[in-house]
Amino acid sequence: MSALRAGKAPRKWRRRFGGFDVFVTVFCLLFALVCFFPLWYVFVVSIMPYSEFVQHPLAIFPTSGIDLQYYRAIFSNASIWNAIFYSVVKTGLATGLSVIITAAMAYGVSKRHIPGMQVVNVMTIVTMYFGGGLIPVYLLYRDLGLLRSFWAMVLPFSLNVGYYIIMRNYFLHELSSELEEAAHLDGANPIQAFFRVVLPTSAPMIAAVTLFIAVAMWNDWYSFHTYVNVPAIRPLANTLREILTKNNLVNSISNEAQALLGFKPPPVALRMATVIVATTPILIVYPFLQKYFAKGLMLGAVKG
Amino acid sequence: MRNTGLRRPLGTIIKKYWFFYMLVLPGFAVLLLFNYVPMYGLLLAFKDWNLTKGVWGSPWTSMRGFKYFLSFLTDPYFWRVMRNTIVINLYNLAFGFTFTIFLALMINEMRSQRLKRTVQTAVYLPYFLSWIIFAGLVNAFLDPQTGLINNVIVLLGGSPVRFLTDNRYFQPVVVITNTIKESGYESILYLAAIAGISPELYESAKVDGGNRLHMILHIILPHITPTIAVLLLLRVSRLLASNFEQIYNLYSPMVFDTGDTAATYIYRVGLEQSQYSLSTALNLFTNILGLLLLLVTNKLVERRNFEGIL
Repeated sequence: MSALRAGKAPRKWRRRFGGFDVFVTVFCLLFALVCFFPLWYVFVVSIMPYSEFVQHPLAIFPTSGIDLQYYRAIFSNASIWNAIFYSVVKTGLATGLSVIITAAMAYGVSKRHIPGMQVVNVMTIVTMYFGGGLIPVYLLYRDLGLLRSFWAMVLPFSLNVGYYIIMRNYFLHELSSELEEAAHLDGANPIQAFFRVVLPTSAPMIAAVTLFIAVAMWNDWYSFHTYVNVPAIRPLANTLREILTKNNLVNSISNEAQALLGFKPPPVALRMATVIVATTPILIVYPFLQKYFAKGLMLGAVKG
Repeated sequence: MRNTGLRRPLGTIIKKYWFFYMLVLPGFAVLLLFNYVPMYGLLLAFKDWNLTKGVWGSPWTSMRGFKYFLSFLTDPYFWRVMRNTIVINLYNLAFGFTFTIFLALMINEMRSQRLKRTVQTAVYLPYFLSWIIFAGLVNAFLDPQTGLINNVIVLLGGSPVRFLTDNRYFQPVVVITNTIKESGYESILYLAAIAGISPELYESAKVDGGNRLHMILHIILPHITPTIAVLLLLRVSRLLASNFEQIYNLYSPMVFDTGDTAATYIYRVGLEQSQYSLSTALNLFTNILGLLLLLVTNKLVERRNFEGIL
């Protein structure tokens, strides 16, 4: 079996661990460190007492105990809870809508013999390369009443063209057409075949796409920043941006926390703790994401 | 409608396939509304935007509608923005692109499967973090007062470097951070291609006395050349595209000289200065140039007998 695992060197000369291997291993581990260390460092700073950070700004491990005071400060702030609430709601709604509408369309278009489907397909792909752009879209949202509205963070994501292509390719090439045909022979109509055969068979693919879209929605800051900008419904991604780039919010969190902690937590530490709070949901689903895309499921996105 | 052998009446078709049309309909409606309706707004590029008159009612500009195109084409700042966009992309090509290939080759050569998985877990991770989070990490490292790297520089006796607000450093920072964020994920494409190499090829090369460097040069690299070509041309076709999310979250007016790119300039002109017509004209111009680049590069790939990128 292992010999079939392509890309792997044959067993015979896998014994000697020479200079080449040392170079390969050191290079890979170094780059892995570069990718992972920033997050680790920010995490460490966010859980160590500020006095220690001032004394040892290069600490890569909290030596004198863990201190969760910055998290207490952040979570005692109402605007953070508000941000988490809106992030969860908009991520849930946008992801659900996007997966249902995109998957349905991808399946329909995968029936290429049906008149009109090719046209719909080409029209969808074209939008990857050409569109109205910033201002025409902005004016459309204005006309639709989406500016300063919560729905500007949800409705425009209803169709995800990138995942439309991936799902269409899946229905075209991966989904066994024999299963569907068997269902038809058993007397199932297309609706029954869709719900009893197609959906259950493609459930793992749809689950993977759902996760990927959910991460994109959780990370989306652009739509609030560009179209909404109402602090009362600001999601976590934008609240993080506010905390990182401006002083108002981080200072007010710091002032409010004074009563709770007995001192004003420094903005640097609050900023790092907020980075960790915004990253945690992604880290939680990351093992699943990695499992799916390591299988090459998402590779189709590169090409139309 | 004529009822010939090929063209069945519309009613029959819809009756037969109504379920599939129903599945497509919501997505198609969304596509028309959010992707095709805005194309009509491109007219603004040739008009003087007037809030009360809307897109249709606004008057055409002087110069037969090309006033805004002439105005930015004669503006030195526009050319600086274009130069920044292209230069950053070329640096990304020279550094990030080659680094990604090298990384894939190195990951493939790792012997310990457990270590390999660990490395892959670490290098794919940054791709899933938003540029907001990543910009936060970049700042935690590069901040002149509290950043880790500057702390190291000071400890070593140097003076703090303003990486993000100094024109000498901004472009390198953009290229390096982009490479860290994206190259791990992109390396999967090459690893997938490498995984398709038949083990027999390695065996026969081994018989011929080749070492692993020979394998890389004479088996792996030739095998992934089509992938490299496609991704290279994809990059070339995006020479005028800028990584808006990255630049917008890292730059500041202090580094506009080297850091302002087409997308960020269009955004500021349009939404921060409310020059709707100028912004639309700029956007249309770069979009069409980008489209031409894409078509030309796609032709090139096809001529080389590789699969096109379109």
